[in-house]
Amino acid sequence: MAAPVPWACCAVLAATAVVYAQRHSPQEVPHVQYERLGSDVTLPCGTANWDAAVTWRVNGTDLAPDLLNGSQLVLHGLELGHSGLYACFHRDSWHLRHQVLLHVGLPPREPVLSCRSNTYPKGFYCSWHLPTPTYIPNTFNVTVLHGSKIMVCEKDPALKNRCHIRYMHLFSTIKYKVSISVSNALGHNATAITFDEFTIVKPDPPENVVARPVPSNPRRLEVTWQTPSTWPDPESFPLKFFLRYRPLILDQWQHVELSDGTTHTITDAYAGKEYIIQVAA
Amino acid sequence: MLPAAGEPAAGDSWGLLACLCTVLWHLPAVPALNRTGDPGPGPSIQKTYDLTRYLEHQLRSLAGTYLNYLGPPFNEPDFNPPRLGAETLPRATVNLDVWRSLNDKLRLTQNYEAYSHLLCYLRGLNRQAATAELRRSLAHFCTSLQGLLGSIAGVMAALGYPLPQPLPGTEPTWAPGPAHSDFLQKMDDFWLLKELQTWLWRSAKDFNRLKKKMQPPAAAVTLPLEAHGF
Repeated sequence: MAAPVPWACCAVLAATAVVYAQRHSPQEVPHVQYERLGSDVTLPCGTANWDAAVTWRVNGTDLAPDLLNGSQLVLHGLELGHSGLYACFHRDSWHLRHQVLLHVGLPPREPVLSCRSNTYPKGFYCSWHLPTPTYIPNTFNVTVLHGSKIMVCEKDPALKNRCHIRYMHLFSTIKYKVSISVSNALGHNATAITFDEFTIVKPDPPENVVARPVPSNPRRLEVTWQTPSTWPDPESFPLKFFLRYRPLILDQWQHVELSDGTTHTITDAYAGKEYIIQVAA
Repeated sequence: MLPAAGEPAAGDSWGLLACLCTVLWHLPAVPALNRTGDPGPGPSIQKTYDLTRYLEHQLRSLAGTYLNYLGPPFNEPDFNPPRLGAETLPRATVNLDVWRSLNDKLRLTQNYEAYSHLLCYLRGLNRQAATAELRRSLAHFCTSLQGLLGSIAGVMAALGYPLPQPLPGTEPTWAPGPAHSDFLQKMDDFWLLKELQTWLWRSAKDFNRLKKKMQPPAAAVTLPLEAHGF
């Protein structure tokens, strides 16, 4: 019958194609490799013999044959620019034999970790970063200990280098210890900090600082602001504010400390001069 | 008036303190402030608040000196020992919601009791302190702490709350056992200073809470300062 014959034909063709592909294109997915900046690396062309005739390309551009050691590609003193997709081809047939996705980077240096409570007494957050880039992906692992108790540090939804801890108990005499370890394909590093609950309290800056002239008096300025919105309980944990001001043309600041209230009137401004006013919480 | 106490064993400083603390409890309470034209408890709460801040400041230098005297590891900034022993020290730590919901009487009572105990232990510390300078600093601090106690007592009296009387058996005592080693004694000293520091941090907030409840919305208090090279 005519119908089954073409079907059987397709099946055979498909099988042949698969076998052909397997035998002649062993490497479809590039091998991912991480190497250290400044080091030397030798890339073999997959399973090819040392004396096989091959050509290497990086990101589609041919590489000079003098970089070859037999069928192996030798790169000296790796730079960031060496990162890319390296492919070796059989010289005559241009058949792709092997691919390497090379990433040049560095092992991580000791991370910088700091913690702060801008939402006291709700909790605190810890942030970290690496002092120098590694140029390759890093993973961080943070652990928080309160005495011997492990506390959960919830990842920040927006910032990837920050996590949040909720205070269970207030006024604790036991220190908190936050440890972070960072690792990538080339190495790892770690650091830790220990602190008392009250030493990391630092509110966000006051909001909506506005200075208005006083209609009747050109030497007065009325400054108003709001408690930072992140501070959860200004009633029980009041903030005090520091205000400082100076005319732009002078370097000397005038300071005012305000233990209560969110407004202050400057009475010794020079009429007609531009002022800079800052308020800290 | 002193309860019968056996001869304290060498190094049994806590036992000795039990004796002293009993004495302290029975001291006459500071008389209530003379209130003619009574402005309410507000000013004395403010004064108590200010005292806690002052003491916090004073303790910073005292603790630094004392911990250096104890030597390493006690004076190392990262020193983070487990809280073992020092069971009788009043602990400032408290659950946030519990702390928030404390009524005024309980809030004041907890502060008063804590500082009474802490003052007692601190006086014991003073007796063993090696250098004259340390003894002077400790004595000065004890006097200030006594002032804070008096101030709290004044607030309680103004609000009509009775001063806490010690129940038998709840006084700080230390069961006689093997002589307290030198290191363990230093650990106790360390925790004492730590609790003092934490209580003062907490009390500022306790009294601020009381202040807010007592007073009508306060006017802004401004202190113009001309600071050079701030």
